[in-house]
Amino acid sequence: MNAAATYAANIAAAIRTSLMDRTNFILQSLGMVVNDVFFLTLWYMFFAGFKRVGGWGLTDVALLLGLVMTIVGIAGVFFGGFRDMAAVILRGEIDALLTQPKGVLARLLARESIANAWGDIAMGLWMLATFAGLSWREIPFVLICLIGGTTVYVASAVVYASLAFWFAGARSFARDLTDFMLMFSSYPGSIFTGATKFVAYTLLPAGFVVLAPVTFLRAPALASFAVIAASALGYAALAALAFQLGMRRYRQGKVAIG
Amino acid sequence: MPSMPQTARAELSGALAAAFGAFALGVRRNLANWPILMGRSLFYLVAMTVLSALWDKVSVQNLPGTLAAVLPPGGLTLYIGVTEWIALSVAAIHLRLEDDIRLGLLEPHLLRPKPYLLQRIAESLGDSFGRLLGIGAAALLALALSGRATPPPVAFAYAAVLGMFGAAIGVLLYTLVGLCAFWIRRVLPPYLIMQKAMFLLGGLFAPITLYPAWLYRVVVVTPFAAQTFFAGNQMIAPSAVTFGYALLAQLAWIAVIAVLIALVWRAALRKILREGL
Repeated sequence: MNAAATYAANIAAAIRTSLMDRTNFILQSLGMVVNDVFFLTLWYMFFAGFKRVGGWGLTDVALLLGLVMTIVGIAGVFFGGFRDMAAVILRGEIDALLTQPKGVLARLLARESIANAWGDIAMGLWMLATFAGLSWREIPFVLICLIGGTTVYVASAVVYASLAFWFAGARSFARDLTDFMLMFSSYPGSIFTGATKFVAYTLLPAGFVVLAPVTFLRAPALASFAVIAASALGYAALAALAFQLGMRRYRQGKVAIG
Repeated sequence: MPSMPQTARAELSGALAAAFGAFALGVRRNLANWPILMGRSLFYLVAMTVLSALWDKVSVQNLPGTLAAVLPPGGLTLYIGVTEWIALSVAAIHLRLEDDIRLGLLEPHLLRPKPYLLQRIAESLGDSFGRLLGIGAAALLALALSGRATPPPVAFAYAAVLGMFGAAIGVLLYTLVGLCAFWIRRVLPPYLIMQKAMFLLGGLFAPITLYPAWLYRVVVVTPFAAQTFFAGNQMIAPSAVTFGYALLAQLAWIAVIAVLIALVWRAALRKILREGL
């Protein structure tokens, strides 16, 4: 069985596990929907009071939020292990995977499927279909944006989690960084200038998770497609590198676990 | 009034001494993890840069017929600076509780003489206090370098006191979130709901005074307003009267949430005894 098939089998099992407790699944998904509604309300109130910010209106932010929610949802359902990866490293749970032949990173990502992420997917798709001003003809473009954005989001989360190979206190920090990336991804792109724009396109790559996809969807062009594709490949390579360097430290017993 | 039995008094003083020890441990651990604290401070500054960019843009645009006309002359940067300072300083106690409950680590703690939950809360309060110090220092440094106009020094004193109690309210609210792990496997949904409630009802993003009057009247009496808005508002309209009112409201909410936590904890223990972890 090749690595992709192993991954598919693992994540399918994780998804089945997450759906096993029906009550819990419904509670978690509804919780996420409520959270998303809160967030939408926040922006609705903002635009009710201030109309536009730097040319962005409610429809633009709805497109941005729809993409973010769907990306976070897909990441949670199909790569849910990223969320607790730093803690798994710090607890020394990688030991059990080292004796197995298949890739450690893929197994860590497929370790868990987050039940509440289905709520994000549902809300995100609903927002894209209703508020974002998209037409059915743009579905292929939306798919490109979702694949690119999810890759950058998960890859960045893996880089943050890999900090646990170097810092004992990285569990909470890795989550904070992921949350910050999410926060950056939830603001109109027009407010990012100078240093903030630099951060949004490097350290907390909200620019590649959603802002470039929003630009692509509003005016599809080869150049903006290339930005999405190149960023996805670049961040995936960076994640693989950070994890492999960390694993080298782990194998040498230099990581403070326990 | 009958006096407290000696053994009960000894138990209480022992529990409080242990809690104080846990608080000190939380502070020391936070300061010992200084690279992480510096990272948090850095990201506070990054978040502030984004949020101030948003509000500065709104102020500069000053679109007619919008609420831009009622924004304070200096903008909302200092207000947001205080609310973000509090929000980012609240320790993630819900994650510790979730781990202990989900992974069955709670059981051995229950056999020990020190009250588990009080210890965890005290430790998280210490952790939050350490963060308040670190992020607060970074915030003041950035403010000094930014050259922005500042309110009178007493406003900072008011905000510092209200900020500490606000962070304590945050820890207690997140404790309630963490205790949800007894009933649902993952506390992420209640955490996110609580976080967004803090955003929306606590005025983290914009002062609740900008909300419609009916909504303001509802929101101002919630624990979320006591957590962040009251401290932030001292940057816009500092006053001894509002400070006194805010402090009383915070203490009242701390008492109410503490009682609520005790009730939830008892219900959780009953559940454990009935069904196991």
